[in-house]
Amino acid sequence: MPKQQSAISSLLLRSSGIIFFLIFWEVSSRMHWIDPYFLPRFSAVITELWNLAEDGTLYSNMIISSARAIGGLAIACVAGLPLGFAFGRWFPATSAVLDPLLRIMSQVNPFLVLLISTLILGLGETTKFAVIAWVSIWPLLFYTMTAVRTIDPLLIKTARSMGISESGLLLKILIPAALPTIFTGLRISAGITFFILVAVEMLNASSGLGWYEHNAAMNFEINGMYAGASVIVLLGFLLNRFFISLERSLFTWRAPVEFLLGGAKTATRLALWRPGRVGIAAATLAIMGLFVGGSFEIVRVNTERANSLAGIDAGKHACHLGSEVDK
Amino acid sequence: MTRSVSKRSSWGIHAAQVGIVALIALGWELFPHLGILTANTFPPLSRAITTILTDHLFARHALTSIGRAYGGLTAAILVGLPLGLLLGGWFNRFQQAFEPLMELFGQANPVILSHIVVLFFGIGTGTQLFVISWLSIWPISFSAINGVRSVDPQILKMAASLGIGRWQLFTRVILPSAAPAIITGIRLSAGYAFIMLIAAELMGATTGLGYVMATSAETADMNSLAAAALVVTILALTTDLFLKQAGKRLVVWRYQGGVD
Repeated sequence: MPKQQSAISSLLLRSSGIIFFLIFWEVSSRMHWIDPYFLPRFSAVITELWNLAEDGTLYSNMIISSARAIGGLAIACVAGLPLGFAFGRWFPATSAVLDPLLRIMSQVNPFLVLLISTLILGLGETTKFAVIAWVSIWPLLFYTMTAVRTIDPLLIKTARSMGISESGLLLKILIPAALPTIFTGLRISAGITFFILVAVEMLNASSGLGWYEHNAAMNFEINGMYAGASVIVLLGFLLNRFFISLERSLFTWRAPVEFLLGGAKTATRLALWRPGRVGIAAATLAIMGLFVGGSFEIVRVNTERANSLAGIDAGKHACHLGSEVDK
Repeated sequence: MTRSVSKRSSWGIHAAQVGIVALIALGWELFPHLGILTANTFPPLSRAITTILTDHLFARHALTSIGRAYGGLTAAILVGLPLGLLLGGWFNRFQQAFEPLMELFGQANPVILSHIVVLFFGIGTGTQLFVISWLSIWPISFSAINGVRSVDPQILKMAASLGIGRWQLFTRVILPSAAPAIITGIRLSAGYAFIMLIAAELMGATTGLGYVMATSAETADMNSLAAAALVVTILALTTDLFLKQAGKRLVVWRYQGGVD
């Protein structure tokens, strides 16, 4: 058990690793330990990031990527949660029989799914949603099934003996009891979604963060490449942190299971922030807004790229699929 | 009360499980033959198997891919496991300083990273192995940290009071208690290794199953695509099953089934 540290020194200690890494990055590029042409200075990457934020590229690609992620994840939730509940609660025999098949399907490589759905659905947005939904449905489904199956039977018996109705049982007992585990599944799904989304955008898309990074690499814009990569890494990190903190604040009764940072200290941070009804409604609205805004942006950018490829803006050179939207 | 499947009918369940999978395989074979699906876009199972057996290049591609996936996974275990054990067991302050950085690195999507790695390693096996093992290191080291840290302190105290040495404490107490978590981490990593293998080969390779997939999708050679798909899925599946069984054998004292 570590000695009790003050909050500031603990924060300093925790961030020291990252700070040292960034300093090392800056220095090794400045001192030419690593060829600065391949590893631009950290400050140069920040400047590039600032430029991207100023001319709107960053905003446009970020909102597009989030719309795709939200859409795919929403499909997975709509399909996976009820299915998991049904399998776990009402059809245990069916789920036992189907188990190997589901395992096999969950092991199918996401990039294979990408290739096949590109063949069937074409290069458009449907393919992206399909792949993301396919990838993110499995953790959701398996975690929901396990969650429902491992509910303490005593809770259900007690509720029954108090004469609860079937719908009341579902709403008041089953869902709250299963929610923490389901939420873990959702966090894992969101992480995988983000990972696959970037890969999919890189392999076939003409917009989004993954595309931006790939495009910068293909055009040898090293600064832009590092800037795009930093944004993606940072977003993934924040997404993970956000889900973990939400998990802790929503399900205070349940000891956090995975990847605790700083051991015992987390106990004091548990009840710092807890979203109420208003908070949840606002978050839902924000997510929906992001999805709608992103969808419009996708349509706008895709039309623009299609026009520029179709030669409406003819006479200008497009070096890579949709790159350098000729202005 | 949750209905649980009674043990008596477990044979029936197994038969039904095999039956369902066999039924799907049969459907895959028969539908194209019966003309319900077009055989050219959806080749029957037998054609995929024939391609695997007769195409002499196919075995070589498959072996290359196996080498890359297991090579990457082995590198990840060799680096990630000691890292996790050391950080979790000995260097508490260092671990506190290092863990956020590791979390950040763990989020560094290797697909993104591959562009940067290529600048230093060039296009080739080095980059592919690096990318595969990069994705696989983090689940192993995080689960090792977690496993070591969640060893029951009572047991540690008891072992210490019995006068056990440091090395023995590690091999006899800490490692066995952390083993289930570590094995879960390795299983997760193995899955990631196969996902990343195909990604790496799709993006820049001239050998391997991912390359076969990419070229056959471009030339609409559906037989090869189906064959590669079948082999990759079976490889991932058998690796996962093997690790699951090995876990059960190795950690008989506390195998946590849980969500898998």
